[in-house]
Amino acid sequence: MDRRPDLQGQGRFKRRKMEDTDSRNSAESDDDGGVKVGNFAQPTEVKPKKEDLDARPSRHTEGIDQLVEKTSKRKRKKEEDAEEASDPYIARQHEEPVPKKKELDPRANPYLAHRYEEPAEDEGSYNGYSNGYGRPTNRMNGVSNASSLARFPRHKSTAAMAKNAEDGPNNPFSGQPLSSQYFSILKTRRNLPVHQQRDEFLQMYQKSQFLVFVGETGSGKTTQIPQFVLFDDQPHIQRKLVACTQPRRVAAMSVAQRVANEMDVTLGDEVGYNIRFEDVTSQKTILKYMTDGMLLREAMNDNNLNRYSTIILDEAHERTLATDTLMGLLKEVAQRRPDLKIVIMSATLDAQKFQSYFNDAPLLAVPGRTHPVEIFYTPEPERDYVEASLRTVLQIHASEPEGDILLFLTGEEEIEDACRKIRLEADEMIREADAGPLTVYPLYGTLPPNQQQKIFDPAPPPSKKGGRPGRKCIVSTNIAETSLTIDGIVYVVDPGFSKQKIYNPRIRVESLLISPISRASAQQRAGRAGRTRPGKCFRLYTEGAFKKELIETTHPEVLRSNLSSTVLDLKKLGIDDLVHFDLMDPPAPETLMRALEELNYLACLDDEGNLTALGKLASEFPLDPTLAVMLISSPEFYCSNEVLSLTALLSVPQVFVRPASARKRADEMKSLFAHPDGDHLTMLNVYHAFKGPEAQANPKQWCHDHFVSLRALQSADNVRQQLKRIMETHEIELVSAPFEDKNYYTNIRRALVAGFFMQVAMKEGNSKTYVTVKDNQNVILHPSTVLQTESDWLLYNEFVLTTKNYIRTVTTVKPEWLMDIAPTYYDITEFGKGPVKSALQRTIDKVRRKEATKGRKR
Amino acid sequence: MAKIDSSSPPAAGPGPEELDDYMSMTIAEPAKPAEKETYTQRRIRKQREAEARSRPKSKAELAAAAAAARDDALSTALPNSSKGFQMMAKLGFKPGAALGASSNPNARTEPLHISVKEDRGGVGMQNEKKRKFREEVEGVEKKQRAEEGGYRERVGKEREEKRVEGMFWGAMRVLEGLEQPEGRDQVPVKKVNVLWRGLVRERQEKERERRARYDLHQGFSRSAAYVDPEEDEQDRQALGKEEEDVEEEDEELNEFLNLEGKERLKRLVGYLRKEHQYCFWCKFKYVDEKMEGCPGLEEDDHD
Repeated sequence: MDRRPDLQGQGRFKRRKMEDTDSRNSAESDDDGGVKVGNFAQPTEVKPKKEDLDARPSRHTEGIDQLVEKTSKRKRKKEEDAEEASDPYIARQHEEPVPKKKELDPRANPYLAHRYEEPAEDEGSYNGYSNGYGRPTNRMNGVSNASSLARFPRHKSTAAMAKNAEDGPNNPFSGQPLSSQYFSILKTRRNLPVHQQRDEFLQMYQKSQFLVFVGETGSGKTTQIPQFVLFDDQPHIQRKLVACTQPRRVAAMSVAQRVANEMDVTLGDEVGYNIRFEDVTSQKTILKYMTDGMLLREAMNDNNLNRYSTIILDEAHERTLATDTLMGLLKEVAQRRPDLKIVIMSATLDAQKFQSYFNDAPLLAVPGRTHPVEIFYTPEPERDYVEASLRTVLQIHASEPEGDILLFLTGEEEIEDACRKIRLEADEMIREADAGPLTVYPLYGTLPPNQQQKIFDPAPPPSKKGGRPGRKCIVSTNIAETSLTIDGIVYVVDPGFSKQKIYNPRIRVESLLISPISRASAQQRAGRAGRTRPGKCFRLYTEGAFKKELIETTHPEVLRSNLSSTVLDLKKLGIDDLVHFDLMDPPAPETLMRALEELNYLACLDDEGNLTALGKLASEFPLDPTLAVMLISSPEFYCSNEVLSLTALLSVPQVFVRPASARKRADEMKSLFAHPDGDHLTMLNVYHAFKGPEAQANPKQWCHDHFVSLRALQSADNVRQQLKRIMETHEIELVSAPFEDKNYYTNIRRALVAGFFMQVAMKEGNSKTYVTVKDNQNVILHPSTVLQTESDWLLYNEFVLTTKNYIRTVTTVKPEWLMDIAPTYYDITEFGKGPVKSALQRTIDKVRRKEATKGRKR
Repeated sequence: MAKIDSSSPPAAGPGPEELDDYMSMTIAEPAKPAEKETYTQRRIRKQREAEARSRPKSKAELAAAAAAARDDALSTALPNSSKGFQMMAKLGFKPGAALGASSNPNARTEPLHISVKEDRGGVGMQNEKKRKFREEVEGVEKKQRAEEGGYRERVGKEREEKRVEGMFWGAMRVLEGLEQPEGRDQVPVKKVNVLWRGLVRERQEKERERRARYDLHQGFSRSAAYVDPEEDEQDRQALGKEEEDVEEEDEELNEFLNLEGKERLKRLVGYLRKEHQYCFWCKFKYVDEKMEGCPGLEEDDHD
């Protein structure tokens, strides 16, 4: 097998000299396939560097991905729009809502916009360009409508006024006549619980800078509140945007689509979304759904978030790392920008915590539209929660009236296994006990979207006329707990566990561990049963355990994560006093200590804690600092193309597929790619083979045959493109040693050391165990490794905690390299007495002897 | 070079060639017990240690070692000498303080605890198991303790019973002496005062046993149960084979003997006082009913 990829088209980069001072924009147009005019008019391009790197729709040609096609179509459309908008004739029509002086401002020229991007924040909130519009462009063509909205007193409107505008006949924002579909949706929208309190919301919103809004699932907050805000805040007049953050990409996409329908506009026009690697917005956009991470990235280049007039943090109760960081940041930004309004939306009732955190902000609570849910506990603790949940599901199917079942389990393997068993048992029940048909669907994050979509299929009909009704059973991770709403669920089975990330700075382990959920989570889960009608929730634990063993709320991610990436972000956000940065739940000081120390060893921070040049560069990459530093230093080792691929591969889900039904075959296939020196090089071989002509002829079949994940590889490809663009922007060279070079693979292994030198383990005596350097943890190789070379020193990608301590994805390295490439970390005087120190000492002696003999020879 | 003197420091000075130190060392050993070991001992120990080291550890041992190292590291805070700490100190961080706004009550000072789930036990199972185990252990301990206490008590009780029983027999003998000073066996057993009838019956049983043994020795190979069809009842009575039927139900006596030892003794003592003005405890027969000089009815009164 040819393990060498054809690097054409993705590697072997010929650097093009940038004519423009703004290299970033040129880079953009570089691989844009010729359409250049529109580039500057693109809101995202005129604005922060960071963002376009992250947010650009993917346009590479290799992946024949529908999504990509769609995006590029959208893109084309946007570009047309941009051209149209820049037409002075059309522009004149927009005079009314636009302050006159802006019209003549040279800044309005989209071709010059890049010159003005930096001072934006100094010009205060009314500069008109902070939302990235190349020129004043709100497209309120219908004069009557424009005036209907224009008559709105900003921050003084009422629900009645908004109702009037909503009733048409023309779209208050686009000026187009409203469709009949719009009116039918409007009817249902007005039945949503939040609608009853629109006036109340508006009054609070107008009065206060911060507002905490609590709405249970089904209240309509995610779709309606941003629209309420639009009518009152009128961002189009300010030439600003309303942002609504979501913790999940999928949610941002689907909610944006829904709201675009509700507002009777095309997605990407007035309403758009922006997630990592995908930006579906235009200069017309006034409401942008985005991931919390995206907003954070934008804040790095625009510390005051001047593009936005209102920021809505949705699903704040999920307490993602990005949401928590944003909250801390927004508290500071709010002081600098009194005009900025901030709405925190949460689904749970611990809203008081948010309230007091945001300086006693007013609170508005809207009841959800839920039905009562009856809760059942087991009389005794369960011996085996998986077995118990299967039993419960089957029992519900056998004896409960019509209604779908939702079972919560912890992970992919467990879920697939459970699905198989339920199907088997259900088939038997149908044959022998005349039970109704039962379809079982798995649901977890790494499931392909088309399969995720299946959960919305209706339950199967009775197998024969008059027979017992069919039902569906969804076996899900805690995705279905808050983010995804599945109607028709009447029964929830809750074993009380979920997989949670946990980090401990003392042994530097970041692992997914199965842990008991919190009481708040259990409540959310139960609530899922009452979406359509009264339901039942079966908790597979005792009531006593619910009260005593479960913690009240799930620990926020900031307490469960390695913070080195966040520290780098905060530094980039201009926050220097990390110790007193006002987080809602400050983590243990040791976590920050470790993060600072790691960044210092990586040379991203100097001893004073200031961002170094390398640190600044590393923060430009949406990567862990370890990976970013590895990538940035890779040209020194003549293998930046390969390290770039590897970085992409390490940032996507597992490439190798090992289905339970064909483990042996999968392992055989994996061994075809195996490199004796370890897993990193093996992954690289897979990628190279995947990019080869044979695989590209029919990627789907090829991946299926070789037991690798097409989705993972495609997304690695995508990530690679994005990262490549960032590298080009920052003039990091893309180089490769010739494949015939005997150091081809050695170079890559050495480059790995440049980033991962803190993740190294040394063999213990002659046993199979290793001990991690500095932390002295006993570890063994994860069984998935392909490593064949005996080596005393291994570099690992992950320290996984299960019942054993594993290191996963390993590659052999040499101690000389460690001391050569990371001399500060491997400073022998810093080591305590022990086998690692003596091994390092031996290496020093060896190197010295070698040099001595060399010298003598000379 | 023979160092028999046990007071001299053994074997520390001499060179390694002196294998005969073996002797002196063993002799020296009692002077400094467990401090020194012989060459052989040391050699064996070293060998054993080396073996232990070279032996591939079992999976369980490895897991235990790894878990121990992990727990150890997890419970050790990062040192204040770390670079991270120094950077934080420059920002005004003090050891033991928390991060964030000073007024924040949610700030943590310790990292979250890591616990690895090792089985599929449901929520609460782990604690339920622990609870059950604890209960079981407690139960066993309690039982043991109870048994321990019971033993002592029982032994004490048994001893007391034995003592009372002994005194009861003594009292019966006293009463017999008082009531039938001249000769024995003259009154039919059933006529004897029930309070000391037991004594009589005991004596008769012993006598019968003795006789049976004697018969055995004399060669009358006749079992006691043997019934000669030729002999009629009178013959048998005449031959002394069927004297009085002692085994015949003696309800009165049985009832009395079934009483507790203390009660029997009490009645006997009471009877002795009442009928014979004799105090069993004083071992003295008083002249009149007043029994002047006797401290009281109970044994405790006579200490």
